[in-house]
Amino acid sequence: MSIDQEVEALQRVPMLRGIEKGKLRLLAFISERMVYGPGETLCKQGDIGDSAFIVLDGEADIVVDTDTGPKTVAVVGTNDIVGEIAILCDVPRTASVIAKTEVHTLTISKDQFLKMMSEFPEMTIEIMRVLAARLERTTRDLADVRGELARATANG
Amino acid sequence: MESGSIGAAMEKSLFKFVWKYSKRQQITIVLITTLSFPILYTTLELPKRIINEAIGGTQFPRNFLGMELDQIPFLLALCFAFLGLVVLNNVVKFCLNTYKGLTGERMLRRIRYQLFERVLRFRLAHFGKISAGEIISMITAEVQPLGGFIADAIATPAFQGGTLLVYLTFIFVQDPLLGAAAVALYPIQGYIIPRLQRRVNQLGKERVRNLRQLSDRVGESISGIREIHANDTTAYHMADVSDRLQTNFEIRFEIFKRKYAIKFLNNFLNQLTPFFFYSIGGYLVIQGNISFGALVAVLAAYKDLAGPWKELLAYYQMLADTIVKYDAVIEQFDASDIFPVERLDDPGDIDLSGADSIALQNVSYVGEGAGQNLDGIAATIPIPGTTAVIGGEGSGRPQLMQILAGLLAPSSGRAQIGDQATDTLPDSVLGRKLAYLDSSPHIFTGTIRNNLTYGLYHRPLPLLDGEEIDDALLQRRLTEAQLTGARGYEINLRWEDIDAAGVESLEALDERMIELVSGVGLGDDIYRMGLQSTVEGHTDSELSERILGARAAIRERVLSEPEFGEYVHLWTPDSFNRSASVIENIVYGLPVDPAVTPHDMAAMPEIKDVIRENGLHDDLVGIGRSIAETMVELFADVSDENELLSTYSFIPKDEISDYDALLNRTKNKSELTDDEAAKLIGLAFMLVPTRHRLGLSTEDFQEKVVAARAPMRERLDKDAPDAFEHFQADKIVPSLSIEDNLLFGRPRLDRPKAREAIERFIGQIVDEMSLREVIMRAGLEFEVGIAGSRLSTGQKQRIALVRAILRRPDIILLDGLVTGAPGDDPVLRFIKQVAPDSTVVCGMANADSAETFDYIIALQNGGLVAAGTYDSVQASLTPLRQAAE
Repeated sequence: MSIDQEVEALQRVPMLRGIEKGKLRLLAFISERMVYGPGETLCKQGDIGDSAFIVLDGEADIVVDTDTGPKTVAVVGTNDIVGEIAILCDVPRTASVIAKTEVHTLTISKDQFLKMMSEFPEMTIEIMRVLAARLERTTRDLADVRGELARATANG
Repeated sequence: MESGSIGAAMEKSLFKFVWKYSKRQQITIVLITTLSFPILYTTLELPKRIINEAIGGTQFPRNFLGMELDQIPFLLALCFAFLGLVVLNNVVKFCLNTYKGLTGERMLRRIRYQLFERVLRFRLAHFGKISAGEIISMITAEVQPLGGFIADAIATPAFQGGTLLVYLTFIFVQDPLLGAAAVALYPIQGYIIPRLQRRVNQLGKERVRNLRQLSDRVGESISGIREIHANDTTAYHMADVSDRLQTNFEIRFEIFKRKYAIKFLNNFLNQLTPFFFYSIGGYLVIQGNISFGALVAVLAAYKDLAGPWKELLAYYQMLADTIVKYDAVIEQFDASDIFPVERLDDPGDIDLSGADSIALQNVSYVGEGAGQNLDGIAATIPIPGTTAVIGGEGSGRPQLMQILAGLLAPSSGRAQIGDQATDTLPDSVLGRKLAYLDSSPHIFTGTIRNNLTYGLYHRPLPLLDGEEIDDALLQRRLTEAQLTGARGYEINLRWEDIDAAGVESLEALDERMIELVSGVGLGDDIYRMGLQSTVEGHTDSELSERILGARAAIRERVLSEPEFGEYVHLWTPDSFNRSASVIENIVYGLPVDPAVTPHDMAAMPEIKDVIRENGLHDDLVGIGRSIAETMVELFADVSDENELLSTYSFIPKDEISDYDALLNRTKNKSELTDDEAAKLIGLAFMLVPTRHRLGLSTEDFQEKVVAARAPMRERLDKDAPDAFEHFQADKIVPSLSIEDNLLFGRPRLDRPKAREAIERFIGQIVDEMSLREVIMRAGLEFEVGIAGSRLSTGQKQRIALVRAILRRPDIILLDGLVTGAPGDDPVLRFIKQVAPDSTVVCGMANADSAETFDYIIALQNGGLVAAGTYDSVQASLTPLRQAAE
C-alpha cells in the first residue's frame, strides 16, 4: 500500500476533509505506517496521547475500563480515525484501542502535525472550521438535553 | 649533578635560576664560542692570502705546511684549506646552536615542571585567588620565551662585550684622545637608555597581567557558556574581551613606540660620535698631531663598534623583557604557604590501623567567605563506626569534612587520626587510607574504566607479563626527566595498582569493577553503553567470537519464533532488506567513512559501472526522478525554517529549485548526462521502503538489487577494497555497534516499539549466553567526554563512589551524598555491602536519620551544637530540626 492510498484514507477523515490533497500527501509522508498484530495495544486509557491513528486496514476495539472490568464500547475499521483529540491538545486517552485483527495504521504524531499547522495556516483554519461545527452541534445537543431535563423536572 | 631540584623553592632571580641549573652548559657554550673564533678569523684571513700570495704572488715554489708547492698546487691547497675551514666553521656553528637549543629546552622543561609541581602543592584555598586560565597561560605561553633566551644568557654579553672591549682597546692604543671621543657618549647612553627601558619594563608587566586576564576571561566564558546564552550576555562578554584587547593594543603600541625610540636614540648617538671624529680628528690631523692613517684606522674600528653595541642593546632589551616575564610568573607561584614537598613524595608507610578515633581538638577555621567558619569544634569520631556530621547551609560542615579529609588545615586546633594530624599526612596516606567524596565529583576525560581505576594510579609499577615497553626509550625518557629535575614517574609504565584493589590480575580487576558498578546501580547503564559501543578497538578476539556466536543464536530465534521475528528485518545475502536503504542493499554493507553520503556513492565509478551492468541504472533513475518529483511537490512551499523539511525531505531546501530545474530540463530526454543521472540515483539510494512508502521499490527491482550484490562486492573488493565494510554473517562489522552486530539486521520501521522489543530480546539471549559481563566490559570503555560531560550527575557520583571503594579505603568521608539512614540510603547500603569494615563519616543537612548513626556531630553557624551518641545529643538536636523546617 503506498502513499496514494494513505492520502485517500486521510481524505475520508472528517476533520481533514477540507484540506487540499497536496497537504494531505505531505501529512501522509511525514506520518508513520505501523502494523499491529491481533491483541496488540495501539494506545492505553489514561496515558497522555501523542498521536492519532488512521486505520488503513483491519479492525480494532475501543475499550473502556469500568468498575466491572474492561468493556468494549465500539469497533473501528478501515478509514476510521482514533485519538485525534490527542494531536490537538494534551489530554489523557479516554479509552484503550486494541487491535482485533491485524491492523495497519497511519500514525500521525502530534509534533509533526503541529509543525504542519504552523506552516500552513489555511490548514489550521480548515480544521478550526470543522471543530467549531462540531462544537456548535454539541452545544445545541446540550441545550436540547437541558431543556428536556428542565421540562422533566418541572413536570415531575 | 644539578638535577636535585625536586621540591626546591623557586629561584627568585632569573640569573640565579640560569646559573644554578645550567652553569656547566653555559660554560661549555662560552668555551665552544671561544674556540670557534680562530676558525672564523682564519676563514676571513685565507681569502686575502689566496688573492695576494697564490694568485698575485710571484715567488714559487712556496712552503705550505712543510711542503714545497708550485703556484697552481699552492692555489689549490689554499682553496681546499678554505673549503675545509668553511665546513668546519659551519659544523661548529651547527653543534653550538644545537647545544644552545638543547640547553634552552631543558631549562624550559625544568621551569614548567617546577611550576606544575607548585600547582599541585598550592593549598586548596589558593585556587580561589588564581584562576585556571591564568595558571595555564603562565605555564604554557609566558615562560616560552625563556627557553630561547637562556641559551644566550651568558654567551651573548660575554662575546659582544668582549669584542667591544677589543675594538675599544684598539682605538685607545691608536690614540687615547680619539678613544676618549669614541666612548664620550657611552655614559649618556648608559644613563638615558635604562631610564627609557624602565618604562618599557613596566609596560611589559602590564601586558603580562592583561594577557592573563584575557585568558582568564576566555576560560570563564567557556565554563559559563550556558549562563551566557541563557542570560543573553554574549554582547557583554564580547565587549569585555574587546576591552582587554584594546588595553593590550594600547600597551603593545606604547611598548613599540618606546622600543623604537630607544633604537632611534641609540643610532643617533652612535652617529654623533663620527661627527667628533671628523671634526676633532680632522683638526688634529691638519695640526699634524696625529697621522692621517691613524684617523682612518680609528674610524674603521669605530664602525666595527656599532655591530656589537647594537647586539648588546638588543640583548639588554630582551633581558629586561625576559626578567619581567620571569618575575611576573615567579611571584604568582611563590606562595609562601604551600604544602611541603613531602606531602607529594612521602612513600606513605605511616600506619593508621591502630587508630581508634578521629579526634577533633578545638578545631577552628577561618574561611574566605561567609558561613565557612568553624569555631572550637571538639569531638571524637569512633573508628570503626558510622558518624553523621549534621549541619545545614552556612554551618561550616563542608569545611569540617575537608579538614577531616586533610584537604584543609585548621586555622587553629588539631584534627588527628590516631596520633597523626590530618593536615600533615602525605597524599600517599590521605589518598589511599581515606576517601573523600562530595556531591559534585570531578570526572576525568577518558573512559569510564579510566575513571574507575583512577584511584589506583598512585605510583608507576613494573609492567605485568605480556605488556611491553621499549627499554631504550624508557631509559632515555627517565634520563631526560632526571636531567631536568623531574621525578622519574613514567606514564607508560603500569599505573593500575591491582594490589591496592586487592585483586590478583587485570582480569579480576575488571570483574571487581563490574561487580561494584552493578552494586551501585550503574549496571544497566554500563551494559547499554556496551551495546552502543563499537567492537573497534577491542582487539580481543574473544569478544568478537562471542558476539558472532550470539548473532547466530539470535538469527535462529528470529527465524523460528515469530514473536521476535516480526520485529526484525535480518540481513540475508539473498533477500532485500526493506528496512534498510537501497544503497545498503546494493552494496550489502556500509562505507567505512561514515561521512560518505549516498550522493558520493552514486558518483563512484565502480558503483556506477556495476549498476549499469546489472540493469539497475534505469530503475534507479526512475526511482530518483519520482522521489525528486514528490519532494518538489511536497516541500516546495514549506518554509526554510520549518523542521519538517530538514527532517523529512530527501533534498535540502536550497537544492529543491535545482532539482525542479533538472526535472523540467530532462522531462523529455531519454539519455541523461552522467551528472544528472548521479544526482537522481543519489536520491534513489536513500530510499528506505518501509519508511518512505512511495511505492517505488517493486519486487522486480528488489530482485535485481539482490542479484547485483555479488558483482558489486567483486568489483569493490578489486577497485575500492578499503572503502566499504561488507556484511557477512560470520564477520564483525567494525563500524557498527555491538547491538547492531548482535542483531545483524534492522528493527522493522513499521512495527510499533520494535526497538524496545529487540532490546528485550537481545537482553534475553545475552543472559542465556552469559554475555552480559563481556558487553559491560566494552561499556567500561565508553568515552565520558570532557570532564564527564556525557554522564549525568548521578552517574558521575556513582562512578566516583566506585572509584573510591575500588581502592579499599579504611575511612570514607561522604559530604552531601547521604540523605537517609544506613538501612534505606542507597549509598550507605552499597558501602555496607561492599566495604563492611570501613569507617563512614557522612556530612548531611538534616537530622532526620540521626538515631541510626553511632556518633553524631551537630553544627550550626560554625559552632558545635552537640557531639556524642544519639542518646546523649538527642535533646540538643531539636533546635536544629526546627531550623531545618
